[in-house]
Amino acid sequence: MFQLADFSVSFGTATALRRATLDIRQGDRLGIVGESGSGKTMLALALMGMAPDAAKIGGRLTIDGQDMTHASERTWQQMRARRVAMIFQEPMSALNPLRRIGDTMMEPLIVHEGLSRAQAQARVLALFEEVGIPDPAARLRMFPHELSGGQRQRVLIALALACNPALLIADEPTTALDANVALRITDLLVRLARERGMALVFITHDLAAVARTTKDIVVMYGGDMIERGPTAQVLAAPAHPYTQGLLAARPDPTVPPRDATGKRRRLPTLPGTVPPLAALPQGCRFSGRCSVELPQCAGTRPTDHAVDPDRSAACHLLGAAP
Amino acid sequence: MWYFIFRRTAGFVATLFVVSAVVFSVMNILPGDPALTILGLDATDDALAALREQLGLNQPVLARYVSWVWNALQGDFGISHSFRVPVSELIAERLPMTVSLAVAGMIFTLVIALSLGIGAAARHRKVGDWGVMFISQIGIAVPAFWLSMLLVLLFAVKLRWLPPGGFAGWSDPVAAMRSLVLPTIALGVVQSAVLARVTRSSALEVMRQDFVRTARASGLSRRRVLWRHVLPNALVPIVTIVGMQFAALVTGTIVIENVFYLPGLGRLIFQSISNRDLPTVQALVMLFAAIVVTANFVVDLLYVVIDPRLKART
Repeated sequence: MFQLADFSVSFGTATALRRATLDIRQGDRLGIVGESGSGKTMLALALMGMAPDAAKIGGRLTIDGQDMTHASERTWQQMRARRVAMIFQEPMSALNPLRRIGDTMMEPLIVHEGLSRAQAQARVLALFEEVGIPDPAARLRMFPHELSGGQRQRVLIALALACNPALLIADEPTTALDANVALRITDLLVRLARERGMALVFITHDLAAVARTTKDIVVMYGGDMIERGPTAQVLAAPAHPYTQGLLAARPDPTVPPRDATGKRRRLPTLPGTVPPLAALPQGCRFSGRCSVELPQCAGTRPTDHAVDPDRSAACHLLGAAP
Repeated sequence: MWYFIFRRTAGFVATLFVVSAVVFSVMNILPGDPALTILGLDATDDALAALREQLGLNQPVLARYVSWVWNALQGDFGISHSFRVPVSELIAERLPMTVSLAVAGMIFTLVIALSLGIGAAARHRKVGDWGVMFISQIGIAVPAFWLSMLLVLLFAVKLRWLPPGGFAGWSDPVAAMRSLVLPTIALGVVQSAVLARVTRSSALEVMRQDFVRTARASGLSRRRVLWRHVLPNALVPIVTIVGMQFAALVTGTIVIENVFYLPGLGRLIFQSISNRDLPTVQALVMLFAAIVVTANFVVDLLYVVIDPRLKART
């Protein structure tokens, strides 16, 4: 349904997203993993046609076979909410503070589907029921500040689902929430995707959440998609040095926090930090921080190499070894 | 919330009393003997003394203040020295003129400023935005009396589209509106230029917030997002300025009414000052001050209407 081919987003000389290729089908549950600045949010915004005005877009984006690469704002308005919807990171600030929840919820239904207020309200109540909001009728009259963070995120999910989108993008939906609330929200997203046959793109830096929610995973670094495959396999045996480093940096509960001499163990970390977009290496974006360095790494962009029939990684190491 | 409203109302009443005391004191400190002004330089001492007695000028200051306030509360501001009629009649006669002008100026300001301000914010850092910023800069810099004269020269003298001045009341609504057009523009241009800039920057601030992205992600048009989501959230600073501007518009009528020969309160206060007509001046200054204080009071109450979060906090 949604296809990206060699899709790039750049600002002047800085490339936020480089030649991304992606194919999202009905029922897919795809995790996008990466650090801040890896391009994962830009990818999500691009799928919504909401890349900043200053962005230069290259490549091709098609939705249901329709070329949307340079589609007008009006065309995108028809796509948003009905074909692709999105929930955002900050449930606290993502709702208009001056509007009652009911008015915010009913607006897209009235605008897009031409429902009357009564019809829209009935739909909203059903949606609230579906996403597990208790006492839905009372919530309609409330203002956002009267709800908890978890409740607000459920409202935002209901809002995104209002016009039955084929694809739901969740951009770090749980980062701002308590751990136990976050768990319930991720489980809710999976349940909704299954029940509605809706594709889900789950963007996060939380590997545990990805493991729970998604079937497939794409790892991003510096605007490149560097590794992809079924979530379980990639997390069990990562092929790209960056993914390996990312997994090694997770705290392991089976390792005691102090070693034999009583010194505190330090978590393994990736050396260095992500360079600013404009200063990324031209070749492999990870060169310079990588534990292995081949002569071609800094200058030549690695292509995708198959690891398994349905797995690939963009790393020169995989090309070198037959 | 009720406590908030009660507190603001109490503050409003207290402010009005302080204002009345200040107005009264200032008027009494002014040099000049009202009796002398009324009777002229040739008056005999006996006549002056009798008139002072009749006007109550021999009573202690405090007693005169109390009786002024007490009478004013009942709508009695004394007799005008120069017009020889009750001041309240003078005010009642001219109030509709000034209110019409101030309200027209306010509507003009709001319509122009909100559309320019929101329009500029929507075209941030593009030609439209720069254009609005440039025009509003000029609008702020132009003095109202000078603009009035230019408008009269162009539209009344040269093109003869509109009357150069005067106002014959609302009995003929078309003529009334026609005579209000130029004064309204002259009065509103500066205010709308200021307000357009406030609206623009306030809207730009709101547009950065997350819920605007949510609204766009719901497939709402830019227009709808701007007017239904951004503008209401940008209103708090806008309403603050509008409150101050309403006061500025009311006092601005003094200049505009004199330039366009409009029979309103602004012209009346100008004439009364020239005639040293103390009761009239005092009543009018008090009235203008009361309008300013009321505008601020209304703004305070509007905050609660605009932002439901304030209800919980206050």
